[in-house]
Amino acid sequence: MSSPANPTETTAADSRESQARGAAVPIWLIVFMFLILYWGALYFDSNGGWFSAKVYAPYHSVEEVQGLQPVSGGNEMFELGKAVYNRPTCAACHQASGKGTPGQFPPLTGSEWVNEEHPGRVIRIVLNGLQGPITVEGQTYNNAMVPWNSLSDEEIAAVITYVRQNKEWGNHASAVTPAQVKAVREKIKDHPLAFTAEELLKISPEE
Amino acid sequence: MNYGALIFLAAFIGISASWFGFVLTPQIQIGRETQATNTVNTAELYPIARPGQANEGAEVYRANGCVYCHSQQIGQSGTEVNVVLSEIGTNPVAVVEALINAKVGVTNANATGLSAGLPKTILRNVSIGNAKKASKAVRDAGAESRVDVVPVGVDIERGWGKRHSVAQDYIYDHPVMLGSQRIGPDLANVGVRLPDAKWQLLHLYAPRTVVPESIMPSYKFLFEQRKINGQPSPDALPLEGDYAPPAGYEVVPRAEAKALVAYLLSLHAGAPLYEAPLSVASAPAATAATNSPAK
Repeated sequence: MSSPANPTETTAADSRESQARGAAVPIWLIVFMFLILYWGALYFDSNGGWFSAKVYAPYHSVEEVQGLQPVSGGNEMFELGKAVYNRPTCAACHQASGKGTPGQFPPLTGSEWVNEEHPGRVIRIVLNGLQGPITVEGQTYNNAMVPWNSLSDEEIAAVITYVRQNKEWGNHASAVTPAQVKAVREKIKDHPLAFTAEELLKISPEE
Repeated sequence: MNYGALIFLAAFIGISASWFGFVLTPQIQIGRETQATNTVNTAELYPIARPGQANEGAEVYRANGCVYCHSQQIGQSGTEVNVVLSEIGTNPVAVVEALINAKVGVTNANATGLSAGLPKTILRNVSIGNAKKASKAVRDAGAESRVDVVPVGVDIERGWGKRHSVAQDYIYDHPVMLGSQRIGPDLANVGVRLPDAKWQLLHLYAPRTVVPESIMPSYKFLFEQRKINGQPSPDALPLEGDYAPPAGYEVVPRAEAKALVAYLLSLHAGAPLYEAPLSVASAPAATAATNSPAK
């Protein structure tokens, strides 16, 4: 490489080159780039399923797939009730089988208290608990049941529906709605203590 | 100027990023799938490992290049959610009123005759939220309904499958023979569509005896034509007309043909899974093999 004959010419060429390289990126291009990135992020968020291996086309999100899962038997209240029952709330004493513990905790399977036409008494028992002797299917039990009024109306309605409509347990009573539980809860709000069987039998079950 | 190191680095980052994205991540996500339970009948495991003869059949399938004309993957373009009224209960008026009040698309105008001819689809292609709302309204009014999740798409319309294929379907396939050409019909669910082994054997020997418009080559070399010694074999194919062997001869399948049919009958891909939700009651009925375009 020979040194340039005229140093001034080289300097001029260098400066031209550096001018070209130093040209600023237009501001609209930068803004446009960020808009594209933003749109891309939104598109990914709504269609990408966040890389979940459980989300296949044509689905877009885990929530969508979850929403389409079959509910066994199609009865959501029954399923919720089953979950509440086995939390364990009821199952701790009455057992997952609903058969209770002989001599200690009465059974729910085929029980005349459970299968009453109107659920008023059962709702009261679940809300405030039960104290003292009670006769179920000819057997007398003398124990205490704790109140479950910390559960929501929906949960209590579901769990009673689960018990009353459980065909495997031989129960065939009507379902209970959260509105019914709410009404009973209002009525007994001045009754802070657990009910006794004697007291319950005086109340009309329709109330 | 020397940009060698920069170019190398850029290429390295580009290639390794795609390797992480296209190879490593999917491997971590779905490379170790194991048997799962069917979401509808939870006592049922899916998929079931192939018995030995069907495994041999997979090799025959591979050796004869079936994969060049037959795919084993079902596509799905969407999912329809329908509400089916199955029991009206004691108060039909209340049911209709509850449905109208639920604001799910039932109005006074289209509510007439809702309860005639049960079970009946009362809402078609609604959102899952509305379907559940309608179902709840119906139940609270004392009637019974169910929510059907129905996959839709051209493959499903043709009767080739019930839902889109997922990674879970292939965990016992080595190699996975997805196929890319559809010169013949898709076989992902052929064990359910055409479960008759005799039909399958006949179809392999002489495709046009059972499907006149078929363009499949005949796989006669998987069969043997032999002289009848005493009693004819119970395996002999019931061939007629031009396809019938000469008098005193019979056509029986070789072990390869039997294995291939065992493999074909093991192809089931319709179990409802978490990633492929589907209501069993709603699944389209199995129809005969067709390669005609969807309606």
